[in-house]
Amino acid sequence: MWRQIGDREAGKLRPNSFSNRIKSTRIQTLQLSNHKDFISPHRGSVNTLQLDLTEGRYLLSGASDASAAVFDVQRGTDYGGGGAITRHKCLFAVDKQHEHGHKYAVSSAVWYPVDTGLFVTGSYDHHINVWDTNTTQVVMDFKMPGKVYRTAMSPLATSHMLIAAGTEDVQVRLCDIASGAFAHTLSGHRDGVMTVEWSTSSEWVLLTGGCDGAIRFWDIRRAGCFRVLDQSQSQLGRRPPILERSATIKGSTVKPSSSSQSTSAKARAPQRKLSNGSGAKHSPIGKSPAKGSMKQRLHPGMLSSQDRATAHYGAVTGLKVTEDGMYLLSAGSDSRLRLWDVESGCNTLVNFETVRMQTSRPIQLATSQNSELVFVPCMTAVKAFDMWSGKTSLKFRGHYEHVNCCWFSSQDQRNCTLVAMIDKF
Amino acid sequence: MSIWNYVVTAHKPTNVTHSCVGNFTAPQELNLITAKCTRIEIQLLTPLGLQPILDVPIYGRIATLELFRPHGETQDFLFIATERYKFCVLQWDAEASELITRAMGDVSDRIGRPTDNGQIGIIDPDCRLIGLHLYDGLFKVIPFDNKGQLKEAFNIRLEELQVLDIKFLYGCSKPTIVVLYQDNKDVRHVKTYEVSLKDKDFVEGPWAQNNVENGADLLIPVPPPLCGVLIIGEDNIVYRSPNTFKAIPIRHSITKAYGKVDADGSRYLLGDHAGLLHLLVITHEKEKVTGLKIELLGETSIASTISYLDNAFVYIGSSYGDSQLVKLNLHPDAKGSYVEVLERYVNLGPIVDFCVVDLERQGQGQVVTCSGAFKDGSLRVVRNGIGINEQASVELQGIKGMWSLRSSTDDPYDTFLVVSFISETRILAMNIEDELEETEIEGFCSQVQTLFCHDAVCNQLVQVTSSSVRLVSSTTRELKHEWNAPAGYSINVATANATQVLLATGGKHLVYLEIGDGTLTEKNHAQLDFEISCLDINPIGDNPNYSQLAAVGMWTDISVQIYSLPDLNRITKEHLGGEIIPRSVLLCAFEGISYLLCALGDGHLLNFILNTSTGELTDRKKVSLGTQPITLRTFSSKSTTHVFAASDRPTVIYSSNKKLLYSNVNLKEVSHMCPFNSAAFPDSLAIAKEGELTIGTIDDIQKLHIRSIPLGEHARRICHQEQSRTFAILSVKYNQSSAEDSETHFIRLLDDQSFDLITYYQLDAFEYACSILSCSFSDDINVYYCVGTAYVLPEENEPTKGRILVFIVEDGKLQLVAEKETKGSVYSLNAFNGKLLAAINQKIQLYKWTLRDDGTRELQSECGHHGHILALYVQTRGDFIIVGDLMKSISLLMYKHEEGAIEERARDYNANWMSAVEILDDDVYIGAENFFNLFTVRKNSEGATDEERGRLEVVGEYHLGEFVNRFRHGSLVMRLPDSDVGQIPTVIFGTVNGVIGVIASLPQEQYAFLEKLQSNLRRVIKGVGGLSHEQWRSFSNEKKTVDAKNFLDGDLIESFLDLNRSKMDEISKQMRVSVEELCKRVEEMTRLH
Repeated sequence: MWRQIGDREAGKLRPNSFSNRIKSTRIQTLQLSNHKDFISPHRGSVNTLQLDLTEGRYLLSGASDASAAVFDVQRGTDYGGGGAITRHKCLFAVDKQHEHGHKYAVSSAVWYPVDTGLFVTGSYDHHINVWDTNTTQVVMDFKMPGKVYRTAMSPLATSHMLIAAGTEDVQVRLCDIASGAFAHTLSGHRDGVMTVEWSTSSEWVLLTGGCDGAIRFWDIRRAGCFRVLDQSQSQLGRRPPILERSATIKGSTVKPSSSSQSTSAKARAPQRKLSNGSGAKHSPIGKSPAKGSMKQRLHPGMLSSQDRATAHYGAVTGLKVTEDGMYLLSAGSDSRLRLWDVESGCNTLVNFETVRMQTSRPIQLATSQNSELVFVPCMTAVKAFDMWSGKTSLKFRGHYEHVNCCWFSSQDQRNCTLVAMIDKF
Repeated sequence: MSIWNYVVTAHKPTNVTHSCVGNFTAPQELNLITAKCTRIEIQLLTPLGLQPILDVPIYGRIATLELFRPHGETQDFLFIATERYKFCVLQWDAEASELITRAMGDVSDRIGRPTDNGQIGIIDPDCRLIGLHLYDGLFKVIPFDNKGQLKEAFNIRLEELQVLDIKFLYGCSKPTIVVLYQDNKDVRHVKTYEVSLKDKDFVEGPWAQNNVENGADLLIPVPPPLCGVLIIGEDNIVYRSPNTFKAIPIRHSITKAYGKVDADGSRYLLGDHAGLLHLLVITHEKEKVTGLKIELLGETSIASTISYLDNAFVYIGSSYGDSQLVKLNLHPDAKGSYVEVLERYVNLGPIVDFCVVDLERQGQGQVVTCSGAFKDGSLRVVRNGIGINEQASVELQGIKGMWSLRSSTDDPYDTFLVVSFISETRILAMNIEDELEETEIEGFCSQVQTLFCHDAVCNQLVQVTSSSVRLVSSTTRELKHEWNAPAGYSINVATANATQVLLATGGKHLVYLEIGDGTLTEKNHAQLDFEISCLDINPIGDNPNYSQLAAVGMWTDISVQIYSLPDLNRITKEHLGGEIIPRSVLLCAFEGISYLLCALGDGHLLNFILNTSTGELTDRKKVSLGTQPITLRTFSSKSTTHVFAASDRPTVIYSSNKKLLYSNVNLKEVSHMCPFNSAAFPDSLAIAKEGELTIGTIDDIQKLHIRSIPLGEHARRICHQEQSRTFAILSVKYNQSSAEDSETHFIRLLDDQSFDLITYYQLDAFEYACSILSCSFSDDINVYYCVGTAYVLPEENEPTKGRILVFIVEDGKLQLVAEKETKGSVYSLNAFNGKLLAAINQKIQLYKWTLRDDGTRELQSECGHHGHILALYVQTRGDFIIVGDLMKSISLLMYKHEEGAIEERARDYNANWMSAVEILDDDVYIGAENFFNLFTVRKNSEGATDEERGRLEVVGEYHLGEFVNRFRHGSLVMRLPDSDVGQIPTVIFGTVNGVIGVIASLPQEQYAFLEKLQSNLRRVIKGVGGLSHEQWRSFSNEKKTVDAKNFLDGDLIESFLDLNRSKMDEISKQMRVSVEELCKRVEEMTRLH
């Protein structure tokens, strides 16, 4: 460590490589913290966990006893074991006793991405509640057609405030906090939707995984889904000769945007402002080039053969997009973990050494910041797999029952805390 | 200090990161373009060397710099991409001598992870496209259309995740890239891809080379007719083309930079990590490569970039040492080196640590930096002073006075230089060959010391000796008239101007003479109360040849008096106080204000504002310039009058904004000075110092002067101890001779004046020196050096053992008086309430200095505080401690005396990776972080809840674009009590690129005013390449990008002074403040650095 700090000081090591290296060495030494103790107010299994996205300080949890709680993970409420152990009692909890509390299990609890002023819970009682953190009052609720499995808000969104909800119902609903009404329904899945996830590269793209084994990509500005992942499609890595290739799927992101915009005072040198990349706002990832390959023509009413493609045998129980937006991880009730290339929609065929995973309920996956490791609840343990080789690199045991969810935070504590909660059946 | 901060660069970046050569400014002109991180510099190659054309700031950190020539153009265009994903194409406008933007844009993507190995930007040799590798797994293509305009960019998926280098191949019908990458099993391969612009995708290229050497990390594409690529490894160099494979083994070295010598690409210069320059030759028969040859040429600075200019001249740009202009000779010199260093360009980077010292106790800080790395490590003494550029010098001992004389009254240049010695006077003159040779003026008395000389009206010269005043014709050089001192009295001091002579003889007599054509007339005579020590009749009125006033300094009553001329009536008498007599007085006028300067025998200078009509002296001010008697003389530079104060600390006194300012001159000791404006050496000064006479020109006023002390090893930390007048440095010596690179760490003690090594202390094997402090402890009068170390064992990820060593300097030796083992590396040491506060891995630990029974002392642990990831940077103030963590921003701790414990009071909950912290005042702390940003946080002790009190509120954010290694309180300029800026507290920082910057905390009113000015300037001053200043200064790291707040960019604000009048007027209109007022306020700010 001292050497790396010295190299950074002398400009031999680039600061971003420095932080990446430190992060990956720290992840390798990740272990169960003996210095932190969360005093759980829940009397049932914890179904969901999320740290706030602004400071990474407040942990939100939702449990089967219809309660949700918030903890401060950085500042303990009291100390035990001679000061060595920091105890974290929850800052507050809302449960059945609360006048607007959920009646049945809380399956999903997410923070409002912009600040910690709001959070959203989804429950098996068919309701999604939006809470004001400061007053712990429900400020809005949405009645859903069935049990809510998962809710999600886009961390990128600047132009919408939509909660995507996966329920027992085949339709994915988008609840608009701004208006208090349903903005859209997205139809395509043939069974309930266990997991929903927003893209980390475009605020308009939503990924959903259903009990029908399908993973669908939606551009919420358009009707219908624009991609269904097929586990048997694994073309990536080959560059076929030019002629054949025109029929295959490509994932380049061409951004139509303003051009030939002269900003210079000197008119005699024509200037062009090329605005690329940032243009990702305008077009979803994976949208094919305008040249009209097959993909484009399919949209929105896809070919029926492709529409029936499955990503997993059985239900898709968990989805997680890597932070760089290039890959998608999915977990299924077939106890498989798959890594997908988001742009092309190809299965990368990385063989993750998962042995068994819970099949009946949604699970929450986590990735490390540099997309090196993926953390997966595997029955009573959390395993960390190397993203590219699929090999188990770390295994965390400490829970007595099945693990439902995990969350990764890089900035926390001496060992990056991996928060994993116990299934208390 | 306050939360309103003003950031300004005192020393620009000097770390050369990129360079390229081409015809940029004109089709026939060869230019060298260098990038110094946030600046680009364009130079023209002339027979006389490199001539600077332009030096401009870029609103971004330059990631790539390339010259290219689109089809049909006669000169090159410049492509620049910045680390924050902006790019621009620049063209030279020869008429206006400025850069014009051909194209610009943003190439950022929402997807993808920024590359670890640095951004790559390349241009197809046939100008079909620009390729950028910015994110892992993506290759961005910006195609050119037929007219050389850029089209829409697109991304191509690149499966190779760990890309080390990408280059375009020459001579391919389709644009083809060659990629050097590392796979999941850490094996390196080379692969080629054709870029299909139509399909916006790659096609498998003509060849691939699997399993290249593991140290390979550089590709050199070879131009036609040979084509192909060179793969540079650590132990091998391979040439590869579709059907050729040639390899040669080389001595183990890491090649850092290359430069192409011939246009056909058969020879290359390679610079390695040890600063050795090699020549690589591709031997070939016609177009068939037959082999490779490599030859060692010699040693240079460690190159980061190499540009072959022309005719064996090579520019070596360096990040770790001075950049150089070298010539490659055909034949080796005595040491076997073909390299001859012609010029060195100072580079302060990387500034790893520095200290601000005031060795002369003048109130002007000097910065001593630990600069450079590896073999190019050095200490640099940076101070704000004026440089004298020596033009000629002669050895002459015992000079007692010097005057320059003209050969006729109308001659614009000086011809003679009269040099006076104790018993003779010599006259030097410029001969036809522009050499200084001894000559004679017949009318002058050369057997005695000259007291004063001056040009007089009507082509005459005046010489005053102890016995007489001689009037000599400057044309015939014959004596025209002589005035003899009264018998029994000798002349002690004298002064003269073109028409007047004033002299003092023994017996307290003051005699006033006037010069006519061929006559000297004694006009008046007075007897004063005491003996006269100094005189001056420098004309400051309307008539440049006649003075109405005379200034007289007196012995015994220590006073200065003003007499009227010609009647010799005393107008004013000012007692100077103290016991030191005035040694030199001078009447002078700056910016229309008349002053009387009076220098004392102890190096102090008094200045008064002189009312020329009444002779009244007001506004008395006293400053210390040195310790020896001062001689004052006026001179002009750039048609402005300045005063030179010759003493042991020569100083130039000048006026800016109607204020007197003092700036050091980079000479050790000057006994006499006179302006010598000869035809051969225009605007020069003749300076007498330490047995030699020097003729030199003077630099611009207010410029940093840098002195280098090469160490040959890498200095990591520096500390000054006033009591022992020493510097202690922690340095590393790299031994690269053996196969295994090893390092030895030393504590070296240097004299603070001469920088000579006094002694050193070598640390154990594997022991690294991490921190140093000079401090004293309570109940102990001695001052110690404390050094914190770490044992860095190869098998350990993080040190688990270290030491704190306590040394005392005795008789030029470092005596180890105590040592204490620690459980980790000691990242930081601070003096804290008479105790020692150490940051050891995760812990802050307080040690007290206790007396043992046997009389020896030891460090005893008192208390500590856990809860950091790595406490890297610590600063203290009173009982407060602030800690800059590796990745958890700033936290504030407090020491509780009653409980003897350290507790956390508050912290910043953002995840900032820190690189330096400093306390601005009790409540506001500044931090620099990993992604080149600065921020300030404020303690909120009045918060209503515990939560509010426990949170350090972020009050300021700013993107500096520089990696800050250290903050220190202090100032580079003299803090004069009479100036407003003297009251503004400042912090100095040093960065990896060699920038020395100043952060000044402004009062809110001034901040608001300058903020308004800054926003107006943003509209008027357009960034090079159309880059936005606002975006550039926005705080940006992995997590967020937000607009800058509570920080001002002083570099932008001060560029106001360089604007032309119409733009100034435009801003003045917007601001509703007069241009003069604006200039005054901005100039005030420039005096901070």
